[in-house]
Parts: sequence; C-alpha cells; structure tokens
Amino acid sequence: MTSPVVYWACLVLTVFVSCSDEDEPTLPVNRYEFRVPENFPQPIYTFDNNPVTKAGFDLGKALFYDPILSRDGSASCNNCHIQATAFADSPVHPLSVGVDNRLGIRNAPPLTNMAFFPEFFWDGGVTHLDFVPINAIEADFELDETVENVVAKLNANKKYRDMFRDAFDIEEVTLPYTLYALSQFTNMMVSANSKYDRYIRNEGGSLTALELEGLATFSEKCGACHSGELFTDFSYRNNGLDSTFADTGRNRITALNSDIGKFRVPSLRNVALTAPYMHNARFKTLEEVLDHYDNGMVYYETIDETFVNQNGLGIDLEETDKAAIIAFLNTLTDFDFVQDTLFFRN
Amino acid sequence: MKSTIKFLFAFLAIASLGLTACNKDDDAPAKDPGTLSILFDNKLGDKGISLKDFGDKTFDYTDANGQAFNISLFAYYISAIELEGPGGVKHIDPLKVTANASEVTGYYHVISTTPGSNVINLSGIEPGTYNKIRFTVGVDESGVQEGAAGGVLDPANGAWFWNWNAGYIGFGVEGNASNSGQEYVDWGNGFETLEGTYAIHVGGWKDVEPQPGEDPKFVNNIKVIELDFDSSIKIEDGLSPQAHINVNFEELLKGIDFSATYAVHRPDLGKPFAEKLVEVFEFDHVHQ
Repeated sequence: MTSPVVYWACLVLTVFVSCSDEDEPTLPVNRYEFRVPENFPQPIYTFDNNPVTKAGFDLGKALFYDPILSRDGSASCNNCHIQATAFADSPVHPLSVGVDNRLGIRNAPPLTNMAFFPEFFWDGGVTHLDFVPINAIEADFELDETVENVVAKLNANKKYRDMFRDAFDIEEVTLPYTLYALSQFTNMMVSANSKYDRYIRNEGGSLTALELEGLATFSEKCGACHSGELFTDFSYRNNGLDSTFADTGRNRITALNSDIGKFRVPSLRNVALTAPYMHNARFKTLEEVLDHYDNGMVYYETIDETFVNQNGLGIDLEETDKAAIIAFLNTLTDFDFVQDTLFFRN
Repeated sequence: MKSTIKFLFAFLAIASLGLTACNKDDDAPAKDPGTLSILFDNKLGDKGISLKDFGDKTFDYTDANGQAFNISLFAYYISAIELEGPGGVKHIDPLKVTANASEVTGYYHVISTTPGSNVINLSGIEPGTYNKIRFTVGVDESGVQEGAAGGVLDPANGAWFWNWNAGYIGFGVEGNASNSGQEYVDWGNGFETLEGTYAIHVGGWKDVEPQPGEDPKFVNNIKVIELDFDSSIKIEDGLSPQAHINVNFEELLKGIDFSATYAVHRPDLGKPFAEKLVEVFEFDHVHQ
C-alpha cells in the first residue's frame, strides 16, 4: 500500500497542516490596522492598493495639519476639518474659509467613516477618497494651489522626503503617494463608539426611555433617507430648503434638471457636534432642523416625494417627537473619537 | 485517510496535465513572444497637425463652413488594448493602476507636448497572426475607481484630470478659431484664457439613469474603438511589425460652431464629440 508517491503526498500534506497551525497565534493589537465595526457595512475603499501603515498614517496626519498644501502657506485641511467637531468645520465657519479668507459656498462636512462612502462632497462629484484632496487643494476658495506645486514643495522638504521614504520606500515624492497618505489618515477616522453603538452592539450600554422613543420615531419618520448604521442612504435629495438654487448641487455633476437643488443625505453620526446644518449652513441647531422638516419646507419641482403629503410639504412631527429624536441623535456622539490622541497633531 | 487519497488523485491529475503540456511543446516548438508598435498619426484632414501657440491667429485650416482655425494642444488616453487574429489568437495588454508609476501598465497618454507619446510599443505578445485591434479612448470606471495613480495618470505629472467631477479627460483639443466666442479671462496666479481660443475636453465615465421623460445628460463618454487591419500581420520574436492608425481631428470638429462652442468642460457638453470618436480613429496600414 505505502508506495513512495503516497508517502510523499502525505508528507506534503503534513507540511501544509503544520503551516496553517502556525498562523493561529493572535496578532498584537495594532492601532494602525483598519477595522470594520461589527455593526458597520463593509468598506468601499480600495485597501488592497493602499493598506494603512503607521508610517503612512503619520505622513497623512502631517500633511493634513500642514498649510504647505495651500498656495500661500495660510490654510490646511485642518482649517475646515477639526477633530473636536468630528472633523467637520467649526461652528464659527458656517461656510468654509480658504486662503485670503475666501468664503466657500458650502458647509464643510465631517470626515468620519469615509472608508464606507461611495461618493464625496455634497454633490457626489468625486467617487474615490484618494481624489478628494485634489479638489480641496485646487479650489480657488479653498487651498488655491496646484498639485504640481504641492509635489515640488514636498520634494524640497527633507522632513517630508524622509517620511515618504519611510512610508512608501520612494526617493521622490509624487502626488499619488501624497494622496495615499492622506487617505490612510482619513480612513482611520472610523467613528463607531457612541452610546448608540454600545447599545446596538450589546456592549453593556443602554439607552434611556426617551432615547429609545426617539430611535423608534427617528426610524419611522427619518429612516427612509437616514438609513443604515451610517444614517444615510447616500442618495441626493431636495429637502425643501429653497425654491431657487444658486448652488444647484447634484445637478452640477449630472447636468440633469431633475437634480437641481439636490444634495447628499448626510450621515448623522456625531450630528450633535457638526452644527450648523445643511449644505448651506442654514440651521444653527437640531431644533431648527426639525422645525424645518415639520413646517418650514418650500416647494421646488425637484422636492423629494418623501416630503409630499396631503397636508402639503414636510414630516408631521409633534414637539414631543422632536425632543425624543434630538435625545436619540445625541446618542450618536462618539466622545472617544473626538478625544482620540491618534488623530492629534504631532 | 480519504482526504489523502483525494489529494493523491488531484496530485496525479495535475502532474499528468503538466506532462501533456510538455509533450505538446516538444511536438511544435513555439516562437518566443513578439512586439507590436502602434503609431497614432495625428491629422487634420489629409494634413499633419502644425501646432500653433495660443493667441496665434495663423490659421492653416478652414472647415466646410468657412471657419478658420488651428490646433495648439491635444491629448487623449488609449487604454485596454487588445489584439486578435483570425485563428483565435488574442493578446490583452494588462491594465494596472497604482501609485507606483513604474508599475502602471496599459494606459497611454498621447499628448502633443510629449514627442513620441503617439507611439505605443507592446511586447510579450503571443506569437501568431493578427488582424484586429480594439482599444478604449479614455480611462473607464475600472481605472478611475482604483484611486490615486502614478505615471500618465498622475495629475501632477501631466495627466488630464477633472477634480470636481473626478475622472480623466479622455480626449481633448485646444487652439484658436477666427470666430471663437471666447473672451479674455484672467484667472489669477498667472493663469489666463486668451481671446479667440477654444478648448474641447471630452470626459465623463459614469452612467446615471435619467428620470422618466428626461434625456440622459450625464453620459459615459468612454468609447471602445475596434479596427480591422486590411492585411494580417505576423507577430513573433525577431520581427518588428507596426500598425498605423490615423487620428483625424477634422472628424472630431466637423460641424462645430466655434462662435457658440468654444469651452467644453462637462460630460454632457462633450457627448456630441465623444460620439464622433469612432470616426476620428481610422485604420491606415500595417507593415511587418
């Protein structure tokens, strides 16, 4: 029975088995490993092309906080994306402020959970996270710089040449690796440790009666658009802010008349921290937002049909509903994230 | 033990396949892989293109409607090149998108400011007889959605890229026209657009379903061109076959009214030009 072939086949098999045994020991906890929270969908980002490493993350962080990305060295990503507000803008900048104090046209959104987003910006014009900074660098009311100049400035800087060598084993800084580094930094901005998360993942957290009532009311009244664990369906909708639009939103990208006045349904994670609200910073508080949905909406032909009912426009909300919904929305604040030293400027 | 026997059978099956393949090779020793040079000959009608500076009102071409114009700058992406032969042989130029410029393959940027960029040299082609070429004009979804890219796809290294509607400009041409409606614009920081110029940029790679009753305007302007050779060419080690393809800008600009159409920078505006690309690229000749 035991021919030489069987002997060798068994030997090979034994080697395979013992190899897989060696993979068993668990790895040490690595803060630079991208992890998907248990209650989140799978990420969309192309991690195979650009996995997160400590050196890449540190480089991305240095770039994020450095005004070297702007034309005159006066503004960085951090000007409009601040950790204390979940990397949205500060409330003192309802619209973004770029070089020469130039005012943008929209409220800078939070950068959390970008790895799970299919499209970026209020109009969804950018479809890959790597390309997001190009828009911010080149916009004349943001950083107003060319990507060629950014690369030249980084190459002339020994600190950055060393950091790019450490992160990517390259001698010359190039734009794609600059974008890789920034994506590594933003990809790690996973915010999934709110009171709500600890409740929904059965990690010992609980919600109060009012918060639970708010969750139920929110799911019923708001969940059609703010769906899933990121509290957005990533669609573009007109939510009745205006009847004429200087900023036509999604229409800028699709050129469809039916997209005039539509903007992305925003994620509501950390929403209590990210005032003011809406693409044009129309509302200062969550109360104002809910009052708008209750009785403040105005008609334009692209109005989302979700809001059209026999009484006119809006979502029927009692004052008690609003209080409960806001109590629930407050549970989406991730205090660990906004205090996480991982993201602190070095 | 059962699994060991299964393993043994699998092992023997693979081994016998390997032996069969070896025998076949012994029967008909194959040639080594060969190369193909593809030359894109840029033309305006039956003339070559003589590039003029922006602002240069020397017009060396007049179209059927009497519009005098010239060309200052042009660029287009060629990607996903495939070759086919009558006997079923096929070569697919591999596509790879990565930040590492030296590893980016299969994307070519023919750009008027880079001499020689109109010649694409393919290698590693399975030996055989070929009579058909297929390629994409532009960078389609599979390329864009890989993220940041080096080499000819690097916007800091000459790639033609839209930041606001992220993606590559598949085909672009700029120049001066006698009747262009373009006025002078100073963009600041040393950037300006000269009076009397035109710029046609064809980009857009996404399909978005239109609402019922509305025309689709957000178009996918990526075009696949398929050209038959008039005679077959042999590709194998030791030969230097070439394929010449004419890129006729006359076809792209046919029917344009420069007084109204001088700044095309959106997918919907570029669509009429994208539809003409199938006429722009024409087979010219091959030789061994």
